[in-house]
Amino acid sequence: MDLETDLVVIGGGMAGLIAGTIAAEAGLDTILLRKGQSATAYSSGAIDVIGYLPEASEPIISPEEGLFALSRLYPLHPYNVLGYDKRIEFEKVMENIVGRTKDTVTWLKAHLDGTIAPLMGDFESNMHPITILGTTKPTCLIQKTMHNGDVQDREDSVLLFVGIMGYADFNPSTAAKTYLEDRMAAAGPPRKVGHCIIQVMPFGKPYNVSSIELARHLDHEGSIENLAEQLKEHIEQIGATHVAFPPVLGLQDALKNKEKLEELTGTTVFELLGFPPSIPGQRLQRALETIFTKAGGKMLLGHEATSYLKVDDNLKSITAASPRREIKIDAKAFVLATGKYIGGGIAGDETGLRETVFDLKPVTGDYHSAMEIVPSRFTSRLSISPTGQPIQSCGLSVDPRFRPVDEDGLEWAKNLFAAGAVLAGYNYSVEKSGLGVAATSGYSAAKNAIEFIKEVA
Amino acid sequence: MDENEAFEYVKSTLKKEKITPYHSDELEIVKSIGACINCGLCINHCPVVASVGLDRFSGPRSIAVELSRSPPEFWATADKVYLCTGCGTCREVCPKNVNIPEIVNIVRANIFEHRPDLVPKGLMIVKEIIEEHNLAFEPWEDKEEKEESRDMRLERLGIPYIPDVVKENAEVLFYPGCQAEERAQEVREAAKAILDYFDVDYTLLDEFSCCSLPSHLMGDAKTARNLAHQLKGKVKKLGVKKVVTTCAGCTSNLADLSVRDEWGAPAYHLLEYLVEEIGFEKLADALKKVAKPNDVHVSVHDPCHLIRHTSRQVMEHALNILRLMPGVRVTESVEHDNCCGGGGMVSFHASEVANSVVQENMMALEKTGAERLVTPCPLCTAQIENNLFKSGSSIEVDDLTVFIAQRLPKKE
Ligand SMILES: Cc1cc2nc3c(=O)[nH]c(=O)nc-3n(C[C@H](O)[C@H](O)[C@H](O)COP(=O)(O)OP(=O)(O)OC[C@H]3O[C@@H](n4cnc5c(N)ncnc54)[C@H](O)[C@@H]3O)c2cc1C
Ligand code: SF4
Ligand code: SF4
Repeated sequence: MDLETDLVVIGGGMAGLIAGTIAAEAGLDTILLRKGQSATAYSSGAIDVIGYLPEASEPIISPEEGLFALSRLYPLHPYNVLGYDKRIEFEKVMENIVGRTKDTVTWLKAHLDGTIAPLMGDFESNMHPITILGTTKPTCLIQKTMHNGDVQDREDSVLLFVGIMGYADFNPSTAAKTYLEDRMAAAGPPRKVGHCIIQVMPFGKPYNVSSIELARHLDHEGSIENLAEQLKEHIEQIGATHVAFPPVLGLQDALKNKEKLEELTGTTVFELLGFPPSIPGQRLQRALETIFTKAGGKMLLGHEATSYLKVDDNLKSITAASPRREIKIDAKAFVLATGKYIGGGIAGDETGLRETVFDLKPVTGDYHSAMEIVPSRFTSRLSISPTGQPIQSCGLSVDPRFRPVDEDGLEWAKNLFAAGAVLAGYNYSVEKSGLGVAATSGYSAAKNAIEFIKEVA
Repeated sequence: MDENEAFEYVKSTLKKEKITPYHSDELEIVKSIGACINCGLCINHCPVVASVGLDRFSGPRSIAVELSRSPPEFWATADKVYLCTGCGTCREVCPKNVNIPEIVNIVRANIFEHRPDLVPKGLMIVKEIIEEHNLAFEPWEDKEEKEESRDMRLERLGIPYIPDVVKENAEVLFYPGCQAEERAQEVREAAKAILDYFDVDYTLLDEFSCCSLPSHLMGDAKTARNLAHQLKGKVKKLGVKKVVTTCAGCTSNLADLSVRDEWGAPAYHLLEYLVEEIGFEKLADALKKVAKPNDVHVSVHDPCHLIRHTSRQVMEHALNILRLMPGVRVTESVEHDNCCGGGGMVSFHASEVANSVVQENMMALEKTGAERLVTPCPLCTAQIENNLFKSGSSIEVDDLTVFIAQRLPKKE
């Protein structure tokens, strides 16, 4: 079985789906392969652009400020790849980097509007949504369901953390305590915080209840009314103005459910950011898939790129394997968006690190060869340290057009572009930059692939 | 000592411990379980968890990290491990592609061997039928009645009757599968009509026997291997070049067997055969020849064994064929690829679980406004049709093979 197309995207996370959507919207025949779900589906569903600089403890106020700092401190950071383009004048480099990132953020927000994961926030300043631990985290865009309104601005605000009986992933009393301490230190509202437990029983039992059951259940007719009824008493008891839920307000209708609850209780209702794999992460993954297929892209789920054919410096085709079939796909250009260790784009064992589809040569965060890096020796003993795990910054090095390069700095193939977590030079977990880098590099890789296909034609 | 003898020898030494060593073709599956990173992503996608809850069915992660790692005879897992429909959704979303549906079969095989008392009774009934008839369903007692039923169905559907052919050295063996052989006879006949229309040189089996998937799924590894051995003999004797089936489960199982047992004849679903061997051009020509086709608004159900056990491209073929049909409008439902609940032998012993899984599909189907559902598998057809009928829905269900045969012109 053979197929032919303009562009093949390998990988179906944020980077791949954005790249695919841009290409399909530009009129390219686009096929996207995905062997599984990955980091994008695990995420909390909020889009980080840049939250911290490595080793700094104060969050960054705005993504723009962060990008300026990164350009000075980490010139090889994926956000700065655009800057290596010789066609861009030196004085315009920063303007271009900021412009491209901002365009991506604006594009993403506009495209996800009307999906099951509509976003809010903007490039001008980071937001600080509350997590299920009661902490806050800087991020650029949140899902509208996570918007906590004026809870930190209104002098008389009272926040109620709501837990669900039998749902072990969220402990409302701990969250309330942590959050209140945090607010007291900041000397800002809310000055009163409460917590309660309610019963939501998708299958008639108040124990062993999972996020997905709750989310699906709340999408069913009548569930929200029932929930609101139980809440009223708790809200009255402490005079809550705001109500925080674990992120389970719905799979298809979360925003509608939030609004309905607000209407029924007269409070501001929102979802906290949760642990992986979170329901908002799943909504984000699905929403991205929707915009890709709506743009005319074709998705081959359950297919893994297993081998390829390259003639001189031109990648001709790849083979996509499913459980019992193989499809050869010819294309004019390819985008590699296979993620890192979870997605499977980069793998490591006792012999070193390698890129899994084309056997490209990975580099470390400082762009030295990572081929002989043994994962167990490239992790620090502290699991959470301000500099993060060095192994996280390993990946592919790319040229200004996002094409992977080999040891001598030359592109491996003239029509292979790379994006997302498969890239080297950044550490999403300390920087809080994961989905932002994936989106921006996916956007850029697609633009370059489109340009390349036009040039060749 | 050959591999089989060695296996039997090792097995006999471990009998007292109730440990069955793994066959070499099972090792990959066992290894894949070790790759689980315990992330829980799969739970959010499992259709059984979604419809009966984590408390009743502990879900794919629990299979990977608990149930498949319990004591040698796995007996403690029996109440959960029989509820997996084997749909493969977890494996498809899993970042490590952990092979849950297959490890479930291995666990079931261990229970079957060491604690048959714990195998659900509904499955034991099927086992007996298979042992007696080499078929997953009780065959018709009266051959004439079977033929009458067949003729009535063909007349109602307007599909021509093509007499059976059995011959050696044909290009293709058409293998209908138990459901189409005994129950949904119209599917078997429709496939013959299609193959005949396109002048395919095909044969049937002289004596039909089960492909072994039901035995494999209930853990009856011995019967599964016997049936597979029997079938191999028949395929070899006929000397065909390809095997074509209309059942989704048979497609994936025959594809495995043809490789594992070296049949020298690859196995395909009829849809794949039509697209890859007959080609869209011929198909389009034929479908356009029908004088006045009825306008019909359909929706599609994707069988797990085709999309997640074979390749999603197969359903792409199905949609492309439907698009060639004059008068046919297709609206996909959001749950088009959700398991119908009929897999993994679940419907044979816990029909309430199977039937709650299909509810999601039915709700989404109603929303499409389609008047008919088509699906390329007689078992999915039966599962969805029964449940729609019970719910009083007016939506009708057709096997896609039947739907195609109905829209072919009379052969010149
Ligand atoms: C637990 C967790 C929580 C996070 N939370 C956040 C957050 O809240 N906000 C944030 O901004 N960032 C977060 N991040 C970081 C962020 O999720 C990732 O950096 C980002 O999703 C990477 O996107 P990607 O598209 O590059 O890769 P991925 O999302 O990992 O996608 C890679 C894709 O490639 C596929 N693939 C791999 N190999 C092949 C192959 N050979 N053939 C076919 N397909 C293949 C995989 O199956 C997968 O679909 C989080 C990360 C983790 C792990
Ligand atoms: S089976 Fe896969 S998806 Fe499920 S917990 Fe394990 S690694 Fe995660
Ligand atoms: S195969 Fe299907 S039913 Fe079985 S655990 Fe996986 S997703 Fe659930």
